[in-house]
This record gives sequence, structure tokens and C-alpha cells, in this order.
Amino acid sequence: MTRREEILNTISGVVAVPSCSHKAAGMLGDPSINFQALARMVTHDPGLTANLLKVVNASFFGGTGRPLLTVDEATLKLGSTQYLQFVISTGVAPTFVQKIEGYDLAPNMHTQHSVTVGMVARELARVLGVDAPDYTFTAGLLSGIGKTLLGGYVDIEVQPILDLALKEGLSFDQAEDEVLGINHAELGAMVLESWGLPEEIVRVVRFHLRPEEYEGVDVVLDLVHMGNVLAKMIGVGLGVDGLNYVPSHTVAERLGLKPEHMDMVMANVVIELESIHDLFIECAEPPI
Amino acid sequence: MTASQDHTDTSASIPPEEKRSGRDLLIVNISDMKLSSKPEDVIVTYSLGSCLGVTAYDPVVKVGGMIHCLLPNASGARGKSRNNPYMFVNTGVAMMVRQLMDKGAERGRLVFMAAGGANMRNDTLFNTGLRNFEALEKLLSRNKVSLTSKQVGGTIPRTMFLYLDTGRVVVRSFGKETDL
Repeated sequence: MTRREEILNTISGVVAVPSCSHKAAGMLGDPSINFQALARMVTHDPGLTANLLKVVNASFFGGTGRPLLTVDEATLKLGSTQYLQFVISTGVAPTFVQKIEGYDLAPNMHTQHSVTVGMVARELARVLGVDAPDYTFTAGLLSGIGKTLLGGYVDIEVQPILDLALKEGLSFDQAEDEVLGINHAELGAMVLESWGLPEEIVRVVRFHLRPEEYEGVDVVLDLVHMGNVLAKMIGVGLGVDGLNYVPSHTVAERLGLKPEHMDMVMANVVIELESIHDLFIECAEPPI
Repeated sequence: MTASQDHTDTSASIPPEEKRSGRDLLIVNISDMKLSSKPEDVIVTYSLGSCLGVTAYDPVVKVGGMIHCLLPNASGARGKSRNNPYMFVNTGVAMMVRQLMDKGAERGRLVFMAAGGANMRNDTLFNTGLRNFEALEKLLSRNKVSLTSKQVGGTIPRTMFLYLDTGRVVVRSFGKETDL
């Protein structure tokens, strides 16, 4: 069995993505629960968002309607009572992890980085005057979710992966491919696809590090690719993979992205992040 | 500790809990600056990507500061420097020096060090890390000051520490620490 097959076999059993969900679980125990506060937390947590979209796009809820792509859509579909049941049903507390091994990321760091990617993608669209769909933020939020699944394998092989990246000049995802037979973008996409998440999101997750490998043109993919680049440059939640990813010239050209756009977006997002500072602190608190 | 005044702390970066030799850390977030004259203090900034961390320390009066700048200047982000002067190298470093002088430092004695300024792999599009460092060099050169030490560029994330008792500056990356 190859390393890739071994990883895929293991990951096929994953039923929920680790998340900063102990806080959500704690909120459920509060009789005066603030539903809006809970929804805000889910919106800014990649694990909870992925788990929610999995549930709402399952046949029981999805029916014959179109796929649901955002937390807002999912919330409208479920209604508050079912929404709470969803949070309970994901078995939130046991899925909390202290650290994403391999990438050397505390859970709050991964959350911060994921939120930043989504915010940058959304802000890029605004600054560039691009008409981007609502799920742009969600796609950015979920783009790095494969790290939460591949981290254990990266941890074991981190030195050869880093050697390939830092000494041989490979990007971190290329080095993951070389050493593990799969990279975190592909793995994340495969898991979300197997969960029935909409193709629009799965595609972005799969190609966000190498958008040129996608044969069509997808503005959300372009925005999330650059969102990931700028989030890493800002430095929020940087892990051991650092800045070892290659920005696409084709995408920059397609978006008409210039350094002054980028500066404006980075400045605006750093300021916007302050508005959700409290969520990151909550996520950093260890489960009781 | 004397925290920077009249600025908006715009970072949401929450670092892991940490102490250095039993000492609490003063944390500099993105677009933020801290200074201190307490010898027991250690100032730190985490997760420098293309951002630039700059320290200035007067070894005689033992006052020092650290800034974490996002961008070289406000030309691409007009209107931001008034509320966020520490976001930019050109406005932020100058303001840090002024505040250190208010605390008794002398400009001629200040020891400057820098870390960060990394770039994405094969990035020939934006070069933000390089632009940040060039802005610092330009500023220092205009003021006839030179960097004593630096660790900038590449593709690696960095964490930077300043010890107020000695002026020692340490850069950590991949768990390994190096004195600047």
C-alpha cells in the first residue's frame, strides 16, 4: 500500500473536522443561549462550517433544491432548533484538538489563518470591483481544511518535506506530494467532496494552491488563491509551511491585481480582523 | 511597561501562551508597537511573514521598543496612516524613535535591528517583504543610521524577541533561536 493509499484509507473514516467547538458546546449548555453569537462563531470556524455544510447538503435536508454554499443559507434552511441540534450532533467537544501537528499550528492559529483567507478573498473582490458570489468567504475559510486532516502525517515527515521546500526550492504542497503522495489541498477537497459539499466549494479547495491546473476560469478560485497568498504575507496564523507557496501570475493578471490593490486589501483586512478578535481568544482557551 | 499611545491596535493575532525565563512578554501585534524601560521586560512579536519587525534600543538608559509593520508606506492604503501609524515602516519607525527619545533615549545611541520581510516563493509580483525592508533602509539612510543586525527575506516565518535588560534580540524560526 502506498503512503497515499494509506492516508486516503484513514481519512475516509473522518466524520467531522476538528474545530474550535468546545466553546460552541459550552454555549449550548447555557439556558440563555444567544443564537446569533453561536451563528457568528460557526461562520468564523472552518471546522464547524464544513460540518454544517455537510449536514445541510445531505439528502435529508437538501431534497431536490440547489446546494447550500454558506452558513447563512444553511441557517435559513435549518432554522434555529435544528441548527442547535446540528451543533450537538457533530459531537463537538471530542473533536477539539490542541494543536494541528505537522504544521505547528495551534487551533486558533489555523482558525485565524482560515478566516483571514476568506476575508482577503472577499475584500479583494470589493477593491477590484469584482462581482463575487456570497460563498467566496466560505470557500476561502475552507480552503486549508486539509491541514487539519493531513497534519499528523506531515508531522512524521516534516523534515524531509521542509528539506524539499527550503533546499530544493519546491513549494510546500509540492513537497507534500513528493513525500506523502498527496497534498493538503487535494486531500481537503476529496474529503469535502465525499461529504457532499457543493462542487463550487470543492473545486476551490482542490485548486486553490495551483489555480492553473483548473481548466476553466472561476473567479472565486482566483480570489481565494490570492486570498491565501495575502493571508500568508500578512502573517496571521503562519505555520511551519511559512510562505512556501507560489503566487500565480496568470491569476494576478486575470484579476488585474497590482501591488497598490494588495496593500489596500491587506490594510483593510488587518483592521477588519480586530472585529472578531474575541472569537480567536475564545478558540485559544483550552476545553474544560 | 509603557505601551504605545494614540494608536489603534489592529491585530487579531493571538499567539501561544509563553513566558521567557519566567518573565511575562509584552506582545506586539500586527501594526502595533510596544516600548519599555523595565529591565525585566521582554518584548515579542510573533508570526512575521512579509511584515517587518524592527527594534531600537538605547544601551545606556536601557529603553527599547519593537514595531511590527505591515507595509512600507501608506501610498497603496491611503488614509490609513492617521489611525494606524505603526502599520507602515516610514511613519511607524519614526514614531517609535520619537517615543523612545521621550523616554530618555538618545538617537545616536540607538541600536537598530530588523527581522521578517519574507516573500512568497518565486514571488516577482508583489515583493512586499522586500519593499518593507527597502523602506526601512531608506528611512535609516536618510537619518544616517545603519542596522546593527538583521535576519530578513526568504520564505520562512519568524518570531522576534527584545530583552530590555541587555538589548539582546533573538529571532526564532522552526523552533530554533538565533541571536541577532
